[in-house]
Amino acid sequence: MASISLRGVTKDFGGNRALRGLDLDIADGEFFVLLGQTGAGKTTTLRIVAGLEQPGAGTVMIDGQDMQGWNAATRDVALVLQQYSLYPRLTVRGNLEFPLQSKIRKLNAAQIKDRVDKAAATLQITKLLDRKVERLSGGEMQRVSIGRAIVRDPRVFLMDEPLSALDAKLREALRVELKRLHKELKATFLYVTHDQVEAMSMGDKIGVLNKGMLVQVGTPSQVYDQPCNTFVARAVGSPPMNLIDGRISGGQVALGDGALPVAGPEGRDLTLGIRPENLRLDTGGSVSGRVFDIEDHGVVKILTMQVGDTRIHATVPARTKVALDEDVRFGWVPEKVVVFDRATGVNLAV
Amino acid sequence: MAQIVLSNVQKFFGPAQVIKDMNLTIADGEFVVMLGQSGCGKTTTLRAIAGLETVSSGTITIDGAQVQDRRASDRDIAFVFQSFSLYPHMTVYENIAFPLRAVSMGKDAREQAVREVADILRITPLLNRRPSALAGGDLQRVAIGRALVRRPKALLMDEPIGSLDAKLREEMRAEIKRLHIARGSTSVYVTHDQIEAMSLADRIVIMHDGVLQQVGRPDEVYLRPANLFVAQFVGSPVMNVSPVTLDSGVVLPGAAQGFSFAPGLLAAVPQGTAVQLGIRPEAVVLAQSASPGHLAAEVTNIEPLGSHDIVDVRIGDATLRARTDSGFIRAAGQPVWVSLEQEQAHFFDRASGLALRKAG
Repeated sequence: MASISLRGVTKDFGGNRALRGLDLDIADGEFFVLLGQTGAGKTTTLRIVAGLEQPGAGTVMIDGQDMQGWNAATRDVALVLQQYSLYPRLTVRGNLEFPLQSKIRKLNAAQIKDRVDKAAATLQITKLLDRKVERLSGGEMQRVSIGRAIVRDPRVFLMDEPLSALDAKLREALRVELKRLHKELKATFLYVTHDQVEAMSMGDKIGVLNKGMLVQVGTPSQVYDQPCNTFVARAVGSPPMNLIDGRISGGQVALGDGALPVAGPEGRDLTLGIRPENLRLDTGGSVSGRVFDIEDHGVVKILTMQVGDTRIHATVPARTKVALDEDVRFGWVPEKVVVFDRATGVNLAV
Repeated sequence: MAQIVLSNVQKFFGPAQVIKDMNLTIADGEFVVMLGQSGCGKTTTLRAIAGLETVSSGTITIDGAQVQDRRASDRDIAFVFQSFSLYPHMTVYENIAFPLRAVSMGKDAREQAVREVADILRITPLLNRRPSALAGGDLQRVAIGRALVRRPKALLMDEPIGSLDAKLREEMRAEIKRLHIARGSTSVYVTHDQIEAMSLADRIVIMHDGVLQQVGRPDEVYLRPANLFVAQFVGSPVMNVSPVTLDSGVVLPGAAQGFSFAPGLLAAVPQGTAVQLGIRPEAVVLAQSASPGHLAAEVTNIEPLGSHDIVDVRIGDATLRARTDSGFIRAAGQPVWVSLEQEQAHFFDRASGLALRKAG
């Protein structure tokens, strides 16, 4: 168990700057998710913490200790990747024992067996221990590779999109399992993903990364309800937050053929953010839109409405009867509107 | 435009049977989506309708005529693939016009047909460009235009928007639906994406292991799944499924008490049948305090998803997932009281997996 902290970490690959002075603090025992698109620098960050890459500048501390000069093997961190990279010829037990057999660990056979059995029980793969790895399903293989990290009892778990290669149903199940595992092990998790659902559902804290810089760090609800700028507003939530350019006048903002109430500074260029679930279809609503698309999720429908020259998403109950190209009226929940400065994209409330 | 009927269609690849006794009638002008995991036989079925694949036995009729022995080019059907397969050396106009050259249409008629299709697909400004200068969505528009320009009897599409990014997918999905409404051509569309299927289809055909599982409107498939496979394939998060006993209410394994159900709702379950309960997360209702009809449970996990939360609750040895407003349950470990929306409960025969429902 350990805290992680990065100070001013920079990394260049050729002429391309992957990380730009990254500061990051992860508390002991925290489940921290780094969320970002391809190329945001999240995997690079993870590899620098692991010791697989050297930072160009800045320091990496684990448990208060500067990691400069420590190689990956001595940092006592475990890495779980999207590709399982197990030994196909070995049994599950063989794979789990492997990292413990290294001479530097000085473990005897009984201790190794004990650790392997415990890890297998935690991951509910005890029944699979004598199977060859090549006979396992994707989900089972990912459990084994997590098991191989657990047996070492590392200070820190680093995970790079471990669920991305699995199908949706399995991802759903393993999300819950990883969270349970984190609770049981009380270890520090640094988890990297591009999937905002994974970030929201598992993280104690989410760090949103853009172009090598940390844009916002917060609990899932902080990041979702009060994104610090329009980038975060679009990065978290599916469908993303609606962003509408406008000016407030008399406590209202003009939208399409009407106006909606909102609190904020009057008479300056703003971008107003509203989540799709905070729009309400309402025959008496003050703005009209034409239904451009209906996405049916069974439990809810997500409408895309053409309002003037913008498209706006609204989440409505599944039983709502609505047809393509129909004209509908809607309103919103004014206290849920997030107000951003239009030029900088910064949330004016934070 | 045409009606398509598959009767007793079987297809073997060597010893492997990929379509098992398929019977399906697609009405004239209908938009049917075939949904299933990879390897379920959906693409093979589509290719069999198109004539790109022969069938081992059974018949396929289009507009009343048996076509299973006809070549693809004689079936008057258009096909759109996931890979756009346009001619790179031709302009968009030439690509769309290409199928018309084969039927020796006059130049004026050809131009009119191309322009009409281009107009519907909003690619008129692109007609003089080459495919290499187009974005993914436009490429697929051109491919669809080329398929439609001959006014085929039916339009078959195999994951046509699978390779596009999320935003474009949404856009193209809306356009394909709109195009269908405008043209009214019989359409068969293959996908593994349940949201796409639910959003596009007049009727969804769900396949698994070469066997047709259910054919129904999107809401039917969601609200009245025919069997356990469909129940757990459609919907996210997955429908909760657990074996239950029905001696004193609906009792989850290891639970001290059962959910009391109105007797009428259990009438479809024959005495003594081993059953599984199926209940969607939105039909599992949580309460902060004890109230009649609710069972005590423990919260084991919370997934805050922003717009709502998915909360796992443990009752006896079973875990149910519930969909709640965000922040409704503060922390795991908290006691909670659970009830079920009885009208939305499903019972499945544990042996066959089939839904047990009252007739009608």
